Amino acid sequence: MEKIHSDTERDDYKPLKKFVASPARPPKRETHGVIGTIRKRFFNSIGNSLLTCIALAVLFYLGKWIVNWAVIDAVFVADTRRQCFDTSPDGACWAGVISWFNGLIYGRFPVQEQWRVNLGVVIGIVWLLPLLSKRIPLRGAILLSWVALFPFVGAYLFLGGRFGQELGLFHGIMTCAAFGYLLLIYLNLIKALIGSKTIAVAGLHLLFVPFLEKRLSRRVVAISSMLVWGGLSAIAALFLSSFDLPLVPIERWGGLFLTFIIAGFSITMAIPVGVILALGRRSKLRVIHWLSLGVIEIVRSVPLITVLFMAVTLLPIFMPSDVEFNKLSQVLVAVCIFAGAYMAENIRGGLQAIPKGQFEAATTLGFGYWQTMFLIVLPQALRMMIPNIMTSFISLLKDTTLVSIIGLFDIMLMARNIANDKDWVGMHTEPLVLIAILFFVLCFSMSQYSLNLEKRIKVDR
Amino acid sequence: MTSSNPNVQLQPNKAIEISSLNKWYGDHHVLRDVTLDIYEGEIMVICGPSGSGKSTLIRSLNHLEEYQDGHVAIFGQPLARDRRSDRLIHNTMGMVFQSFNLFPHLTVLQNCTLGLTWLKKMPDQAAEKFALTLLDRVGIAHLASRYPGQISGGQQQRVAISRSLAMEPKIMLFDEPTSALDPEMVKEVLDVMMDLSKTGMTMVCVTHEMQFARQVADRVVFMADGEIVEVGPPEQVLVNPEWDRTKDFLQHVL
Ligand SMILES: Nc1ncnc2c1ncn2[C@@H]1O[C@H](COP(=O)(O)OP(=O)(O)O)[C@@H](O)[C@H]1O
Ligand SMILES: [Mg+2]
Repeated sequence: MEKIHSDTERDDYKPLKKFVASPARPPKRETHGVIGTIRKRFFNSIGNSLLTCIALAVLFYLGKWIVNWAVIDAVFVADTRRQCFDTSPDGACWAGVISWFNGLIYGRFPVQEQWRVNLGVVIGIVWLLPLLSKRIPLRGAILLSWVALFPFVGAYLFLGGRFGQELGLFHGIMTCAAFGYLLLIYLNLIKALIGSKTIAVAGLHLLFVPFLEKRLSRRVVAISSMLVWGGLSAIAALFLSSFDLPLVPIERWGGLFLTFIIAGFSITMAIPVGVILALGRRSKLRVIHWLSLGVIEIVRSVPLITVLFMAVTLLPIFMPSDVEFNKLSQVLVAVCIFAGAYMAENIRGGLQAIPKGQFEAATTLGFGYWQTMFLIVLPQALRMMIPNIMTSFISLLKDTTLVSIIGLFDIMLMARNIANDKDWVGMHTEPLVLIAILFFVLCFSMSQYSLNLEKRIKVDR
Repeated sequence: MTSSNPNVQLQPNKAIEISSLNKWYGDHHVLRDVTLDIYEGEIMVICGPSGSGKSTLIRSLNHLEEYQDGHVAIFGQPLARDRRSDRLIHNTMGMVFQSFNLFPHLTVLQNCTLGLTWLKKMPDQAAEKFALTLLDRVGIAHLASRYPGQISGGQQQRVAISRSLAMEPKIMLFDEPTSALDPEMVKEVLDVMMDLSKTGMTMVCVTHEMQFARQVADRVVFMADGEIVEVGPPEQVLVNPEWDRTKDFLQHVL
């Protein structure tokens, strides 16, 4: 200390210079213009120029051939494949695809009942719509409610049947609860919108006592929102019971609709099942550890087709004989475990990347194991793994087409069925091209969305 | 031992009693018969060379580390490896880490309110209000909506302190809170700790900031090789140490 003191004293007589930073300059940017950039990128050497020319030529001929086949020489109106050939032998025969279009989308779902499928899809989307706005709190609760309740609505609409008969009591109650919850969400939103403030309540929050919200304890709020939810569900029940939807057995579901059901189900269940398996694998309890490890490793080392066949042939043997399983639920269970096992490894990777300090900080604050996992660790792990998770989702979507092999009439099997139609015998290419385009659009938008999500989360941090 | 501090004379209650604590990592004996009483309202600074077991000692107090032998009691209640003890620890002790350990996916405010809403079951608005007063006390209420990655190290450490204080602990443990900071940010964190020391909080600080120790500490502990070499008021330990080991160390850090 003494030394520092004397230092400052010595410098005292020398006046200090005042430091002012020199003004900041913009960085240098190289500008070439469009032509300059093209030259620099594609024609910067003889080899590169040659490659560019060859690639252009190939692209040109390929493109011309495709456009000719798919558009210029194609036949859009015809009654049979023969007519197509007679009009234009070298073009695509889209007429067949068009006449089978309904089947490709809905499978063998009765035409006069197809509005139910559309309505189900619309309800599912409307339910998720609030997730788009960042200003809405408790979006997690909305997503969770969708995962837990929407399947009942979907099954009710698609399957139909009367209350208490084809439609079981439990299923009926859950359907009403689901509709009640959807109403609750939207009434909350409307209330918040009218209430001018920023949207402050959604999901489980209270509907009819906004003034008391601040003063009431959480328990009172929770109980009264339960009551409101119950009331809305009762209203939904009254409304629904005045309808009778004719039964559409699962064997008649098919096409893109069925593909979406299987893919959607496996995608939504992949994360919960994956989380359970991943946590199980890390568990200190030996039994749970080995069980999870066994499921993960076995499922991951067996092809999906095998898992599907096993589900269809083995599951009924293990189950008590009075439980009757339809093929679809067997497939859903199988795909779910398959997706979960892969997801578990993704999630485990994310969990391992969470520093020990996060657990320690959570523990010293007083959080227990489950709270630490769900509030602190998993949100970070899942965010970190978004690219991998999206990759898994994309391959799941594509993998679901395998169910056609065990005889579910998904879009693949419907497409192959076209070739068996006596009017369109042997028509394989066009439906497959259509499916390829469809899957490309779906998968490509999923991967773009994932990139977008990644960017947004980077901004957050 | 208590003569120098009037505070301690008025409240001779023991906040923490450590009696002959022993810990091994394999065959490595990292805590050797550590015995120490820390009184309510006391500011205790622990210093010593790297690897002397300072972190291990304070992490043993809140069960982040296990120890094989010895006892710890908090406010007269002996600790065991059970739920009740864990609850007692979490209700009475907060901890601040060298590497801050903020939750990066939550905003500064949410970092502070998470425990309030989930553990203390406080309504959202009350929790936010309380957290904001704490953040204001450490001078960063204006950063409440930022994410930890968007603020400086010193600010992060101040958030970490507020986050601990939000749980209203009676004892605060600090494990080298300024060691990961750039020199110019050390002071802002030490200032916050200094303010805190005036509120009657019991504080156990592992730190190499001798200036801070001299100004604030009631007693200073010097540790080496897993043992307590000497304990006493700062003017004694830091100015006129009894042991060569202490003098050696002080020459290096001052
Ligand atoms: N996880 C561990 N495994 C083995 N040895 C450890 C571990 N953590 C700390 N040690 C050892 O224990 C001793 C005390 O460490 P620590 O308490 O971190 O020292 P300090 O905080 O004083 O620098 C050191 O010799 C260190 O090498
Ligand atoms: Mg240390």
